[in-house]
Amino acid sequence: MSSVQRASDMRRHEKAWGWVFVAPITLQILLFCVAPVAIAIVAAFTNWNVIKGTYDFVGIDNFVEFLTDKKFWVASANTLFMLLPIPFYLVLAVLFAIGCHRNTPGSKLFRVLFFLPYISSIVALVVMWKWLFNYEYGLINQTLRAWFGIQGPNWLGDPAWIKFTIVLMIVWKMIGISSIYILAALKNIPGTYYEAARLDGAGPIRSFFSITLPLLTPVLFFLVVIGLIGSLQTFVEVQLFTTDGGRNYSAATITYYVWQKAFVSNEIGLASSVAFFFGLVILAVTLFQFRLSRRWVYEGE
Amino acid sequence: MTVTSTQTAQRRTGTVVSFVLMLLGALTMVLPFLWMLSTSLKQSKLVFEFPPKWIPDPPDFANYAEVWDVAPLATGLMNSAIVTITVVLVGTLSSTMAAFAFAKLDFPHKRLLFVALLATMMVPGVVLIIPQFLAFAELGWIDTLLPLIVPAMLGNITMIFFLRQYMFGLSDELMDAAKLDGAGFLRIYWSIFLPLCKPAIAANVIIVFMGTWNDYMGPLIFTNSPENSTVQLVIASLSSYYAEQTDFPIVMAASIIAVLPVVLLFAGAQRYFVDSFAISGIK
Repeated sequence: MSSVQRASDMRRHEKAWGWVFVAPITLQILLFCVAPVAIAIVAAFTNWNVIKGTYDFVGIDNFVEFLTDKKFWVASANTLFMLLPIPFYLVLAVLFAIGCHRNTPGSKLFRVLFFLPYISSIVALVVMWKWLFNYEYGLINQTLRAWFGIQGPNWLGDPAWIKFTIVLMIVWKMIGISSIYILAALKNIPGTYYEAARLDGAGPIRSFFSITLPLLTPVLFFLVVIGLIGSLQTFVEVQLFTTDGGRNYSAATITYYVWQKAFVSNEIGLASSVAFFFGLVILAVTLFQFRLSRRWVYEGE
Repeated sequence: MTVTSTQTAQRRTGTVVSFVLMLLGALTMVLPFLWMLSTSLKQSKLVFEFPPKWIPDPPDFANYAEVWDVAPLATGLMNSAIVTITVVLVGTLSSTMAAFAFAKLDFPHKRLLFVALLATMMVPGVVLIIPQFLAFAELGWIDTLLPLIVPAMLGNITMIFFLRQYMFGLSDELMDAAKLDGAGFLRIYWSIFLPLCKPAIAANVIIVFMGTWNDYMGPLIFTNSPENSTVQLVIASLSSYYAEQTDFPIVMAASIIAVLPVVLLFAGAQRYFVDSFAISGIK
């Protein structure tokens, strides 16, 4: 058998095996992503009934219905509110990462502890927070009472506070994981930059704003994009902390609204139209982010 | 002389300040967990004491025995274990196979397919929930564990990206030498590349394990009977039921049991874990 023959055999095998190896993931994206997106677009224009399994096309009725629903707009405002954690956990994560980077004693242990909330399930975290922030017997309000003699707020029951409590929990949970990415970026900054700045007479504050921060913008951009996509779809916390989205719908987000319409009141068509609309909004926000990034993200020489 | 000594002094103050701040931060992270542990070891009637007591007196382990009877916790743990183990084992196999093909093999439409994978990551989850539910309903999979297992079993896109990147770093000469020896592609994948990727695979396995074990939204939407609940659903319903009756210790005990597998895994493989996040996030 000639070696030319063998080589061509091998190439044919390579093509075949290539497809065999990627077959599972291809099947996954076709069945569980491409097909669902197609169904989602169709369903948005129907009055789909899961129980009867019937549907009629209703044009843009669903869109008119939710856009004129007051609850949808309350949920939209709450969804925007859920972006609030992002700047807070990023600032704290940068501080923590700098602390680790300058080898503060205990850094290794602190890093593990900062990871604890992130690796625990949201269910466990919410169970824990419901107890900690319990109005009468929770540790937080009990401690406020014991140390300062003041009555803490009704963190979970008061419509003005529940959103804030959720924001607080997300900040708490996200610091550790964000700082890991930031720390990796810090380690990539050449020490000579700081050396040069010091010789030029720049103090630590000046070096931070002129060297560290600009060089952290790529990783911060990554974290902002991921954070926005995640925060805009905040759902589980709301579902677990409240029944019915909280008093006066005070904590409900758009994803919560979608879930409630689809799986509590069985309005699949309506829920699909909201999801479709909101999906486009998220996509637009993400693309806009990339455009905007040219203005503030350092891209190297 | 004086300049350097001011600088050392400055640096020392900096270290003290940063240590104090980091310690406060770490306490904020860990105290809620310790409070949860402390509560789980108290008798129900003792949790309302004022001022709050951190060390339970006497420590009472009864909650950890009782919790198995008040909720289908064993079933939940079992279901979570079935889902997580299947997803981790089979999903890792599918993902590494795809990563190998994308990194080292040449086949038609490879680039197109890869771009398609990238694009699917841009699809927000909220768009997919309802049509997936409709599709699973059509298949008769609602209220079974299949929706939690089957899609994830076919691979994990993040893991594919990560491992593809890793395999790019491995020399092509390995591949050529194996080909000359007459090894087939399956052999090359299984006996050469898979073992070489062990650390990268370990890191990803932990992430997938954590994500699957902790998943709440999937089970919430796709299952409903207690027999098919995962541990997260069991805890959530136990909490909404018992918190009404303010029996907090039992709920805390259940939560601790649910969190334990991930915490133990994390403690055992912490190094891989932290590194993997750092590497996977930055190109």
